[in-house]
This record gives sequence, C-alpha cells and structure tokens, in this order.
Amino acid sequence: MRNLMSFRSTLAALTLIALLISWTNAGYFGMEILAEIAILALLAMSLDLLAGYTGLVSLGHAALFGCGAYAFAVFTAFWGWPPSLSMLAATLLTGLIALIVGSVVTRVQGIFFIMITLAIGEMGYELVFKTRALGGDDGLAGIPRLDLSAIGVDLNDPGVFALALILLVAVCYLLLKRLLASPYGAILVGLHDNAGRMRALGLPVQRYQTSIFAFSGAIAGFAGTLSAQHTMFISPQLLHWTTSGEVLVMGILGGLGTLVGPVIGAALITLLRHELSDLTDYWGLWLGVFLIIAVMGGKNGVVGWLEAGWNALTRRGETSKQSDRSKNDAAG
Amino acid sequence: MLRAETLFKTFGALQVTKGVSLEIPAGIRHAIIGPNGAGKTTLFNLLAGELAPDEGRILIDGQDVTAFAPDRRARRGLSRSFQKNNLFLSGTVRDNLVVADIVARGYGAHFWTRLSDNRRAHEKTAEIAEQVGLADLLDRGVSELSYGAQRQLEVGLALMPDPKVLLLDEPTSGMSPEETGRMLQLIDDLPRTLAVLLIEHDMDLVFSHADRITVLNYGEILMEGTPQEVRGSDIVQETYLGGKAH
Repeated sequence: MRNLMSFRSTLAALTLIALLISWTNAGYFGMEILAEIAILALLAMSLDLLAGYTGLVSLGHAALFGCGAYAFAVFTAFWGWPPSLSMLAATLLTGLIALIVGSVVTRVQGIFFIMITLAIGEMGYELVFKTRALGGDDGLAGIPRLDLSAIGVDLNDPGVFALALILLVAVCYLLLKRLLASPYGAILVGLHDNAGRMRALGLPVQRYQTSIFAFSGAIAGFAGTLSAQHTMFISPQLLHWTTSGEVLVMGILGGLGTLVGPVIGAALITLLRHELSDLTDYWGLWLGVFLIIAVMGGKNGVVGWLEAGWNALTRRGETSKQSDRSKNDAAG
Repeated sequence: MLRAETLFKTFGALQVTKGVSLEIPAGIRHAIIGPNGAGKTTLFNLLAGELAPDEGRILIDGQDVTAFAPDRRARRGLSRSFQKNNLFLSGTVRDNLVVADIVARGYGAHFWTRLSDNRRAHEKTAEIAEQVGLADLLDRGVSELSYGAQRQLEVGLALMPDPKVLLLDEPTSGMSPEETGRMLQLIDDLPRTLAVLLIEHDMDLVFSHADRITVLNYGEILMEGTPQEVRGSDIVQETYLGGKAH
C-alpha cells in the first residue's frame, strides 16, 4: 500500500516534469494546448474526487465548470469587477449552487444519480443557451485575465499563462492529496466502498455526499474561471453534457480514484485530439481504441497499467514472493 | 438499555411482526430464536432502523428513537453486525476499523489532519483487532481474508463505536466449529456494560451463551424466558424444536 502511494507520487512528479519540459519546447500553439491541458486536468481532478473516490458519477459536472466561467465573465465584462475578486466570487457562487444541487441529487443512488445530474446539467445548458443577456448560443467575449503585473508577471503572455496554470495544477494536486490523506478522505473512500455500512456505523451519509459535491463543484467552478481567462471567449458548449462525458473519459483513461490519473488522461486526450485530428478525420475512432486498451483486463486506466507493470518488475527482482500481492494492490 | 414496545409491521397483507415487546437491560445477552419466516430479521431491521414499524415504540437508554434513521440510532449507541458480511472490501483490516473509528468518534469532517498521525485511532484499532482475533491480519486486504476472519471483522466493525446496545445477526453463520468456538468466546468476553441481542440458528450456542431467550413464531412472541425455561417448555418443543424431545 505504501509502495503504491509513493509510486503514484513519483508518477505525479514525472507528469509535472513532462509538462514543464514540453513547456520549454512549446511554440505559441503549444502553449495554448498546455494551458488547455492544465485547466482540464484541474476539472478532471475535481470530478475524480466525486466519481473516483466517493463513487458518485456525475454527468452534470460541466455545468458547474460553465457556471464558474459565465459567472466570471459576468462579474468582469458586465459588472467591471477586478478579475481576482471575480475568480473568488465565481468559485464561491458555483460552490453554493453545487451545495444546493448536491443536497437534492444525493437523495438517489447509482444510475438515478447519473441521470439526475445529467438532467440538471442540461437545464443549466439550456438556460445559458436561451438567455440573450448571456449571449445565448453566440457566447460571450471580452473577458480579461488576472493582472499580476504588480509582481512582474504578465499573464497575457501565452507562455507565462501556461506555466502559471501548470504550477497551479501542481499546487492543487498537493492540496487534494493532503485532503485525501485526512479522516475526511477516508470517509469518501468508505462511502464509495459501502455507503450502507457507513450509515449503519452512524455516518449521516447524505450530508457527507453533499459536502464533497459542493467542494468538487467549487473546484470545477474555479477551473471554469481559468477557462474563461484562457480563451477570453466562452460559449454554452462549456456546460454541455458531452463536456462532462469527455472529462469523465479523461478520468477513466488515466485511472479514476488515483488523482494523478485524471491529469494524465487530460493530457493524453487533449494531445490525441490535436495531434490525431491533423493526421486523420477519424481521430475519435482512434481515441476509442486507446480507451478500450486502457480499460482492458480490468486495469484502472493508464495508472492501473503502469502499476501492474511496476509490480511485475519489482516482483521479478524479489524471488518467489506471494503471487496474489498485486491483486490486493490493484484493489487498493 | 434497549426497549421495544408492541411493535407491529405489515408488508402488504402479510403481518410479519405482531405486537413484539422486548426489554434488554445492560449486561444481558438476549437471543431471538424461531423457525425461518418467524420474523427475526424483520424485527432486527425494525430495531436497527432499516424499517419503520407501523405501530409501537423503540427506546435506547430511555430515549424514543422510533423515528430515527439508522445512522442516528447508531450515534445513540446502537451498533449492529450483519448476517451477510458487509465490509469495505477494497481496504485492509486496518482501513476498515479506522474508517469505523472516524465515523464512531465523529471526526470525519477533519479534512486537514493526517490520518496516519492519529495515534489514538490506531491504538483503538489495534485493541479491537486483538479482541476479535485479527491482530496478526491488520495489514491484510479484506478480500483475501478467509470467510471466518471476515466474519470476525464484521463483529469488529460493530464493536468499534463502543456501543451500548449490540445487535448481532447470526454471528457464527457459515463458520467452522473452531471459528464458532472463538466467536462464542468473544461474545462471552464482551464487557458486561453492554446489552447484546443476537439472532441465532445454532441451538447449542443459544442455550449455553444467552441469559434470556425470546422465541418468535409467525411474528409473535411464543414465549420468553431463561434457557432452562425455554428448553423445558412444551409449546417451544412442539413448534420449534421438532416435537417432544428426550
């Protein structure tokens, strides 16, 4: 178990190094891709808290992402609030909405949970799509970026912006990792494993599920404020359930419930989309092939495959160790 | 400590619990026996809060908990084990007991302390593991434990909250004779401050380890008494123990 934890930490460090190396080599377009990866990585990590750790698979997560983006756009472009305050306010507002939504959706379980989050997400999408004041299907433009010139950082430079986002994701990863090592983190895993037993032990299950829904939603909203600053133009597509689905696929491809997996998944899918779409019109087909390979054999995505490989390597070193060790590791 | 007053429960046209009353003071091991379909499990679920009674009241330590959900009853000091193992299968024995400690002691909202630094939780975990005979298996994955060891963990989880009332649903079901012996020893060794209610099929176990026995039949209490009284009773012999014995 401890080996596994340090393996994942190593993997996270390697992912960060890989992102930083690509940053040093990236041109203008590369910087845009790196920024996109970082934002989607943050969004995918927030969904991992909910779907991977707590076992609450939401298909409405993009609506919270879009909520953060639109709130930021309204606060800055319409009301003229400074971007820093707008980021904070948009994150808190999204968290509050997620708290209210969470207190409703956690009343149902399993497939019903997926359906009700999908329905509420689509309601959000429709609302934005049909509201002229929010630009409707034309979207909103003229969104400013955070001004850090006071400390000599120009976020309007694509390279600086991308680097800031990569470092921000690294910080968020460390904070979330700390959260998951806490008693609260253990409760989340217990809820995923056996919510009924948690209730029998005395846990107010719904209250805890609502709390993680709200927290995860606030992070998604925060990622939304970053996305609005990245593209400086937003459209209702941000809230669409296909965006939720894509983020979920990132988590599954990388490995749900591993925290680093969704980051890897976000990077892989974003890269595949940009690289493969240059080579072939059928990039979605190839993405499907990758996805099938990644989840084949009951492995937990890329991280699961790497862990299995690592276990096989280390076991070869030690002679005749118990053969069912890896089975337990995979379950943990 | 645990008190049930004239509980009624109906599923459709089927009356499964008909006016059952129980009184289990602290320190008493009280067993419920009865043939299949006698309503033992329904009664258990009524007491634990998984089902709501149509009529009647349930009190823990003098407080009316009839309207309380299972988690709220658990926080009032009622703990239960399950007939089918109901564990956290992805973790180790230690993970299982620690998460039970977090819930029982109510520090699940601590999101910034490191669980690994919590010495008290690990001491409590080691203590309960010792009590249920799992001290050597603390770091073993639950899914690779033997069935008997999983059964021991099932009871271990129920003991973590230091309950006032412990409901054990067939704790020895499916166990080997050796494992059954250890489980009985465990039940005998439970602190005498605890009120224990157990459902059990094994007659020998019931007669030698329970202080009082309630015999259920078709949702009604056939009789209640000491093991000697129940063993000597004619109606019980006829309806449950299969005709006159000896």
